[in-house]
Amino acid sequence: MALMSIDNLTVEQRLIDACLEIHAGEVLGLIGPNGAGKSTLLNAITGLIPRSGHISLGGQNLERLDSLQRARQIALQPQFIESVWALTVHDIVSMGRLPWGDSDQSIIRAVMQQANITDFADRHVNELSGGERARVWLARVLANQPVLLLVDEPVANLDIHYQQEVMQILVDYARTGHAVVIAIHDLSLAARYCDRLCLMDKGKTVKTDTIEAVLNSEILSPVFNVDVYVDLDNQPPVVLAQ
Amino acid sequence: MERFLNPALLLLLLMVAILSLGIGILDVEVGSALIDWSSSSLSGEALTREALIVGEIRLPRTLLALIVGAAMGISGAALQGLLRNPLVDPGLIGASQGAALGAALVFYFNLFSGLGALATPIAGLIGAALTLFILMGLSGSMARPAIIIMAGLAISTLSSALLAVVLNFAPNPYAMQELVFWLLGSVSNRGLDNLAVLLPAFVIGSTMLLTQRKLLLGLSLGEQVADSMGLEVTKRGRYIVLGTALLVGSSVAVAGNIGFIGLVVPHLIRPLVGYRPDRLLLPSALVGAIVVLVADMLVRQLPPERELKLGVLTALIGAPFFVWLVWKERQRWL
Repeated sequence: MALMSIDNLTVEQRLIDACLEIHAGEVLGLIGPNGAGKSTLLNAITGLIPRSGHISLGGQNLERLDSLQRARQIALQPQFIESVWALTVHDIVSMGRLPWGDSDQSIIRAVMQQANITDFADRHVNELSGGERARVWLARVLANQPVLLLVDEPVANLDIHYQQEVMQILVDYARTGHAVVIAIHDLSLAARYCDRLCLMDKGKTVKTDTIEAVLNSEILSPVFNVDVYVDLDNQPPVVLAQ
Repeated sequence: MERFLNPALLLLLLMVAILSLGIGILDVEVGSALIDWSSSSLSGEALTREALIVGEIRLPRTLLALIVGAAMGISGAALQGLLRNPLVDPGLIGASQGAALGAALVFYFNLFSGLGALATPIAGLIGAALTLFILMGLSGSMARPAIIIMAGLAISTLSSALLAVVLNFAPNPYAMQELVFWLLGSVSNRGLDNLAVLLPAFVIGSTMLLTQRKLLLGLSLGEQVADSMGLEVTKRGRYIVLGTALLVGSSVAVAGNIGFIGLVVPHLIRPLVGYRPDRLLLPSALVGAIVVLVADMLVRQLPPERELKLGVLTALIGAPFFVWLVWKERQRWL
């Protein structure tokens, strides 16, 4: 049984009858052009915007959960995030425990180790480089220990080294029995790290399938409005606009 | 070090409060005067001169300064956290202008004359409450903090305009002078009965703020993140606006405008609590109380015939600090 199933999810003017199944243990990539509705879908699942349709989580209707119960199971890492105040890395990561109302140090220590940020636990997050910061934001949602982790463009501003590191952390989290959904523009990275892909266009979920079934130029070219070159046999796989 | 901050500030506040009871033209033994005052008040005996001065003049003054300062400090800290902006003053949501307008109408129409000295604070509180209802109506049910601040600004502008009308058509120069002096802000010549207005509002208002500390912490990463963590920004943010309005409204209703405390004090504390907006509330209240008490003690040292109003002094100290803050903020953007 799917961990989450989404039926006819609609958000006024932005999302039309989206349908999706998300399984425990997998990394699902949300791909599609700008404005396709990827972020809207993530926000709607998290309950941040008014929506209609049906979402169930572990067989239970999502509407039945109150906001804290929902927040313990579903965590969202938005694309743009910054700390207004000069908080320390440790404080930011501890905020992942807010939905639980505790500050379980063993979890916080473990995720800081996992994200490789233990060395600068006491530094202000605003002093860190983009790559370091990305791992701090990630550690915050990992500390939440959600069954479903939603991540919006986690690697958009990172160099190729940090892109790999961040994607690997997300894959590792999925492999411990959680589900991870990543909205991502880099199709080569999506091909390399995701288990399945959901292609979105104009507010609709067009196709949800395996990497091979979704990433081919016949499907991608009309959606992205550009000729797409795909070589999935290469290691690592390559998907580029021609 | 953070662990000792609140106890240390509490101790300092206590010392300043005792000092405030002892300072004045007449040198009085504070402890025995207070005991005299309370026993005579209970038994109905005539008060000694010392008991009268400490119990009836300095005690209300000290308590009012303390509560008003704490109210301003804690509401500034909470509102800056809610709006995620270090340059926000609690007066921004319009409650202080509403309270000032309510109180001004008392001077003008001689309303609630049956209430005696309490007429002004009660009218001020009604004014603040009315402003708040309009604020809530204007900002709507899904109000985001940014909308609340705009609505507050609109309402305080409106209240200021109406206040100007009241001043413009003051029935006589004396009423106008009295009103202007009152607006300048002071804790002198106010009886202990003012606490009947101020204390309940302070207890309820600050409790409302203190229960929303998690929200303030979550909001450090933005409304979207706070919402995704189940913190219900819209609903719980309203508690902060309500609590702030209650604190600011009641303070202005009793003491007039004591400006800049809510803006400046959280800045002084922030580095001492690791910039945590949730840990900022309590020490801001304590330091707010200390600053207003000290400012009031300074005011009392000046010759009584040309009294410098407390609100004028806090503005004189606070405004340059504000200029410095803007300067510092500018450096960050260069």
